[in-house]
Amino acid sequence: MGAKRKKSEGEELLNEGEKENDKNNENSSKKMKKEILPSMIKNKEKRSAVHAKLKHQKKVEKRKKLKARDAAEKRALELGEEPPARKTPRTIENTREPDETVCRPDDDELFAGNDADEFSSILKQGCAPKILITTCRFNSSRGPAFISELLTVIPNSHYYKRGTYDLKKIIEYAKKKDFTSIIVVHTNRREPDALLIIGLPDGPTAHFKLSKLVLRKDIKNHGNPTGHIPELVLNNFATRLGHRVGRLIQSLFPQSPEFRGRRVVTFHNQRDFIFFRHHRYIFETKESKGSDANGKKAKDAKSEKTSQQKVITRLQECGPRFTLKLVSLQHGTFDTKGGEFEWVHKPEMDTSRRRFFL
Amino acid sequence: MPRTTTLECPGCPPLRALTFDSLGLIKVIEARGEHGGVPKVVERWGDPHSSKCVLAASIDDSQNDPLLAVARKNGLTDILNPLNGDLRVAISNAGDSGAQPEDDGIVGLHLFKRQREESSSRSRTLLTCTTKGKASMRSIEVTKVSAESSCSTVKSWNVCASGTIAFSKVDISENFSLFGGKGVEVNVWDLDKCEKIWTAKPPPKNSLGIFTPTWFTSAAFLSIDDHRKFVAGTNDHQVRLYDTSAQRRPVMSFDFRETPIKAVAEEPDSFNIYIGNGSGDLASVDIRTGMCTSMNTLEIYGSASMILIPASTWLGVDIRGEFQISVKDHPVQQGKPGLVQALRSHHRYSANCTTPQVFLKQHLNEVVFDSAFADKEVANAAADAPLLEIQNGNDTQEDATETLPVKRKEAPEEKDRSKKKKSKENEESKTLKSKKKRRAKDDIHDDAS
Repeated sequence: MGAKRKKSEGEELLNEGEKENDKNNENSSKKMKKEILPSMIKNKEKRSAVHAKLKHQKKVEKRKKLKARDAAEKRALELGEEPPARKTPRTIENTREPDETVCRPDDDELFAGNDADEFSSILKQGCAPKILITTCRFNSSRGPAFISELLTVIPNSHYYKRGTYDLKKIIEYAKKKDFTSIIVVHTNRREPDALLIIGLPDGPTAHFKLSKLVLRKDIKNHGNPTGHIPELVLNNFATRLGHRVGRLIQSLFPQSPEFRGRRVVTFHNQRDFIFFRHHRYIFETKESKGSDANGKKAKDAKSEKTSQQKVITRLQECGPRFTLKLVSLQHGTFDTKGGEFEWVHKPEMDTSRRRFFL
Repeated sequence: MPRTTTLECPGCPPLRALTFDSLGLIKVIEARGEHGGVPKVVERWGDPHSSKCVLAASIDDSQNDPLLAVARKNGLTDILNPLNGDLRVAISNAGDSGAQPEDDGIVGLHLFKRQREESSSRSRTLLTCTTKGKASMRSIEVTKVSAESSCSTVKSWNVCASGTIAFSKVDISENFSLFGGKGVEVNVWDLDKCEKIWTAKPPPKNSLGIFTPTWFTSAAFLSIDDHRKFVAGTNDHQVRLYDTSAQRRPVMSFDFRETPIKAVAEEPDSFNIYIGNGSGDLASVDIRTGMCTSMNTLEIYGSASMILIPASTWLGVDIRGEFQISVKDHPVQQGKPGLVQALRSHHRYSANCTTPQVFLKQHLNEVVFDSAFADKEVANAAADAPLLEIQNGNDTQEDATETLPVKRKEAPEEKDRSKKKKSKENEESKTLKSKKKRRAKDDIHDDAS
C-alpha cells in the first residue's frame, strides 16, 4: 500500500508541471519501478491496476515527447533552420545481420550467371511460359477453389487432375507437352498448406510452406481480375538465394505485361516470408478540392498532377492472398530421395531473428 | 537488438585453393600468415561464359613446372600454369572421340605427377574419362614457349558398355584407377597395362527379392600405400568398403541418412572417412568399425557435393548451390580433439561466426588445393620475404632454366608430410602420436596383407 501512496504523490508532483519536478518525478518513478514491478504484486486486480497505470504513464510520456518534437520542428521551420533529423526506428529488417551474398547491381558475374541459368530462355522472352497446375492426390473444398483462383492469376496455366499419377511421371508428361513449370498445390485436411514449384525441363524445384490463405470471396470489396497479362512486382529478393527464387517466380509469368489491364501481382519478401497479393489499380482524375484518397500511390500521383485536376490512385484487391515460406530448393526436377538440395531449411538455422536467407 | 557479441574468427592455416565454377571462372583463394589469415579471393582468371563451364580439374603441384589441367564443357581441355593462370596448352577432345562434347562431357581428369616410363621428360600424361565411359591416356608435350605442343593419345579404352560414369579416381601411386557410376559397378583398372583387374559384384537381393539398381556416386581410395581398399558411396545412401584382395562384394556397408551420398573422402593418416550427402549432412566415420565419429560439425545448407582433404590439416567441402569450401583444422594437430573449424567460401554466415569465409558467387564444380603453398608460406615467413617476389620469380621462369628454386621438396608425398610435421614447431608430442598411429596402421596392414 505504501507504494501506492508514493505513486499518488508522484502524480501530484506531475500536476505541478515544473520541469525540474518533472525530472525528479521521472527519477522517482524509475526508482519506484525498480522497487515494485507489477509482476511482484500477487493480487491480480491490484496488479492489473498498477500495470494499467504504468502503461498509461508511458503513453502520456510518449505523447509528450512527440508533441515536443513537433513543436521543435515547427519552431525550426519558422526560424528558417533545418529541422532536426528524424530518427529512423530500429526494425528487425534494418538491423539484419550483414550478409555478403546480397546481390549488387555492379556484379558482372551475377549477370553472366543469370544468362546461364535455367530461366534465362523464358525471361529473355525466348519462349512463353506454360504452366501446369495440379494437386496432391486428395483434393477437395478449399484446394480446388484456390486452384481456380490461381488459374485466373497466372496466364497460360492449365489445371490437370492429379489422379494417381506419380509426380515424376507428370513431370515427364509435362516436358513432352512443352510446359515450362509445374505448380503442385498440396492440401492437408482440405486446407492448402504447401506449394511446389518445379521448373522444367531441368529444375529447380522449390518447396514452399503456404499459410494464411484468403480466397477471393472472403476479401471484402474484392475485384474481379480481367484476362490481361499482369504486371509483376517482386520485392526484396536480395541475396543470391533470394534472387534465384525470385527468378523462379518470375518465370511463371509472361514477361510482357499488358498495362491496359491494370493488374498487378505482387510477391513481397519480408523476413523470408513471401507475401502474395493480387490487385487492380485505377488512376482517377478528380477536381482539386476533392478529398484525399488514402491509396498508397496517392502521394506519388500528386506530384504528377495536372494544374487543376488531381490524379488519385485507387487499389482494389482481387485475391487470393497468401504467404509463402521457402522450405527447400532442390537442384533438378522433383526428386526428394535422390535429389541434390541447393538449400534446405534446417532448424539450427533459426538461431537469430535477424538472419535472413532470401 | 542486433547481435553484439561476435566470436573472433581464428583464421585458417595458410592455404591456396583454386576453385572452378559453372561459368568457367577460376578463382584463387589464399590465406596467408603463420597463424592463418582470412582467406580471400586474390585472383580471377577467365571470362564468365556458360559454355566454358568447368567439368573437372586436376593439379600437379610438383616442384618444377607445376601444371593445372581443366576440362571444360565445350570440349576443350586447358593446361594452365597454376601460379599465374597462363594458358599453356589447349587440347580438344572432340576430335578423336567423334561425339558431341556436350552430351559426352568429361567427368574425370587426372594429371599425373610422376613421369610415365615410355614418355620423354618434357611430356605430361593426362587421364580423362567421359560420362559414356571412354577413358583415354594421352601424353602432352608442354614446352616452355606457350601454346606450342603436341598431343598424342597413348591409350584409349572403354570402361563400360552402358551406363554413365560418375567418377574416376586414381590412387596415390598412380598405377590404378577406379571407375563407377550409374549402372556401372565400380571397377579397378591397371593403368600400365590398361586392363581391368577387378570388378565389384552387386549385393545380393534381399529377402523379398528386391534388387536395387547399381548407382555409384562417389569413391575414394583408402590408405595411401595400398590401392586395394576403397570406399564407395551409392545413390541409395549406402557407404560400402571394398577390398579388392578379399572379395568382389563389399567387405562392409552401412546406411547413412536418407539422401544419396554425394561425396566420400579419406582423411590422410587415419582411418576416418568423411561422407557428405544430398541434403547437406556431413559426417566422419571410422572405417574400421563403421561408427560415426562426428556429425554435422559444419553448418551446411545444401548438398555436400565434394569433400577434399588435401593435407591432414584441412577439409574442404563444396556445397551444391551454396558455393562453399570448408577447411577444418585437424583435431589432432590442433591439439583440441573434437574442435572443428572451417573456412567456408560460401554464401552464408555460420551461426557462431568462428569460421572465415569467402563468398564465391557461383556454383562450384571443382576445387583443388595447392599443397605446396603451405610449405612455401612457412618458408616465406622464415625468410621474411613477401610471396609476390616468388610469384614473380615463377613468372620469369620462362626464360630461365627448367627447374624452379622455390619449392624444396621432391615428389613423394609421404616424405613431404613427415617434413612438414618436423618443420612445424612444438609438435613433438603430436609427431609421436602420429608415429604411433602409423605404426599401428602398419601393423594392421601387415595383418591385412
